[in-house]
Amino acid sequence: MSDNLLLTTTVGSFGKPEYLTKARGQAARGKLGATELEELERKATAEWIRRQEDIGLDILVDGEMYRGDMVAYFAERLEGFKIGGLVRSYGNRYYHKPVIAGKLARPKSMTVGWFEYAQSLTSKPVKGMLTGPYTLLDWSYNEAYPTRRDAVLALAEIVRDEARDLERAGAKYIQIDEPAIHARPEEIYIAIEAMGIVTAGLSAKTISHICYGDFAAIYPQVLDLPVDQLDLAMANYGYRWLDLFERNPFTKELAIGIVDVHAHTTETVDEAAEGIRKGLRYVPAAKLWPHPDCGLKTRTVEECVEKCTAVVEATKVVRKELAKVPA
Amino acid sequence: MTIKTTVIGAYPKIGDGLEAQELRRALHRHDRGEITDAELTKVFDEVTRAAIGEIEAAGIDVTNDGQIRWDDLLSPFARAWAGITPGPLERFYDNNTYFRQPVIDGRIVTDGRSLVRDYTFAAGVAKTKLKAAVPGPMTFATLAARDDQYGSLEERVLAIADATAREIAGLKAAGATTIDIEDPAIVASPKHIELAREAYARFADPDLDIELVTYFFPADPVLESLASFPVAAIGIDVRSRDTTAFDRLDAFRTHSVVLGVVDARNTRLETADEVARYAERALKLVPQERLVLATTTSLEYLPRDVARAKLTALVEGARLVTGEKVLA
Repeated sequence: MSDNLLLTTTVGSFGKPEYLTKARGQAARGKLGATELEELERKATAEWIRRQEDIGLDILVDGEMYRGDMVAYFAERLEGFKIGGLVRSYGNRYYHKPVIAGKLARPKSMTVGWFEYAQSLTSKPVKGMLTGPYTLLDWSYNEAYPTRRDAVLALAEIVRDEARDLERAGAKYIQIDEPAIHARPEEIYIAIEAMGIVTAGLSAKTISHICYGDFAAIYPQVLDLPVDQLDLAMANYGYRWLDLFERNPFTKELAIGIVDVHAHTTETVDEAAEGIRKGLRYVPAAKLWPHPDCGLKTRTVEECVEKCTAVVEATKVVRKELAKVPA
Repeated sequence: MTIKTTVIGAYPKIGDGLEAQELRRALHRHDRGEITDAELTKVFDEVTRAAIGEIEAAGIDVTNDGQIRWDDLLSPFARAWAGITPGPLERFYDNNTYFRQPVIDGRIVTDGRSLVRDYTFAAGVAKTKLKAAVPGPMTFATLAARDDQYGSLEERVLAIADATAREIAGLKAAGATTIDIEDPAIVASPKHIELAREAYARFADPDLDIELVTYFFPADPVLESLASFPVAAIGIDVRSRDTTAFDRLDAFRTHSVVLGVVDARNTRLETADEVARYAERALKLVPQERLVLATTTSLEYLPRDVARAKLTALVEGARLVTGEKVLA
């Protein structure tokens, strides 16, 4: 039984501990300095690296203790963006939606320091985590570029430079998330063109996370997205996207979401294991990575641990089953 | 006579200043059990009053209540109707905004009064003409996560249309004379246009101005079909995507056209001139008395200060067409 079958991972973010949530609030009100906040972010990152090791996950993430929103984090660090006003995403949740107000440029790397820090805390591989160019555009207002494609391609060059910096820093896995990729299915070609710019020449394994939207509307075209692995929310959708693979076989590695991140209750190990078995009908174990549906930042630390534990325990169950099957 | 202006959908519930975030704080406190339902209702009322005030202050002719209590387009009915349970979160079309997909787990039943309390409150506040709004049956039906009750899309749509008819009757009894039916699914899934027509026949009422409001997608594939819907007005978004609608507006021979000319999904601010140019293009094919200028969709996709500025541009643009000066 190879350890490389059914590698477990997560999508990127974890719930922040209470002391960090409080500190971020204080920092936003100018009552806590940047250095003090960063110390707490590093502490929380170290805690999450340890928790992931304790849970037994195979491919780790830094947990994004230093990020709020996955687009705003980058927008705040890029020239050409300005941070817009508050916009509601759902219920009582709001975010500062960025505005592309001028020519985009990356003054310096944005994630490498955190990657290096997280990787220094563990011998397990840590993924480099980026937001893809199409999503960066789609979740921002574009006031500066004549077309959406123009803005996406400008962002692609920036994300490419960041990905190259991550690879130089030792990242063996680079995840470039495109959760907005199906926002306008007629624009899938733009997302594919942009990802081609980002991943050209990288030797790291490249992954793209896609969630919440009509995946069927971009399948099978999305198989042309130039990454090694697609990372898909499945549990929340009752695994219905797998049906698409009947007609058009899935040709990439698949990171399969087997626990719903928007439910407070955690799936049983049996339920999660069944999700893996469903995935195995279409993707071999060496190319199937069990994980939660999406980032876990909306869950408490305890809920995150429960959900990740369910993923790991379910994977152990299925690995044992695979070991019993004669080759 | 000036070209009339109106708003579509929801108004931003909070602003960027802490003083404009009372509802956000109240909802958190309500979640923690620190304030009662009645206290939360009072905050909802005050924020509704403020939203109507801002819309009116911009000079908009026909306002709505800002849909301050709505979590998403489907929520007022998803919460109130028997037979519906709020289901999983999903992205609302091509927006980074989410909604709860309705799960239909029983026969849909309503007393038709789901929005009457809110409408009555808004009517007591509004100084200008007030319109009501309801989610469209095609959108409600096609965005459902699951349907354990009705055997087909057709059955589901017509059951929802019947329930919507009761809500419209309830709003009419409460004094509403104009009701927007927000139904982006009609342009998102144009193949169902004949089913949509059948659904809309269920609540046709010659004594009401029912406005079928579409957005996000071009109405191009269904434009001529919409011209025979039993409603008083058709709302069309001419900014979100390329469209041929400007050259085909003469399809509407009796309907009013509510033209979404101010982009409610981008912060780039239109100038009054730009708005006026859109109006002038439309006026080549639609007479002024049947043209209403509007935002493309809910202003809630924008920060509140930008929403206000957009409304001002809309009104200034409308007045520019007729040469009327904007009152300070």
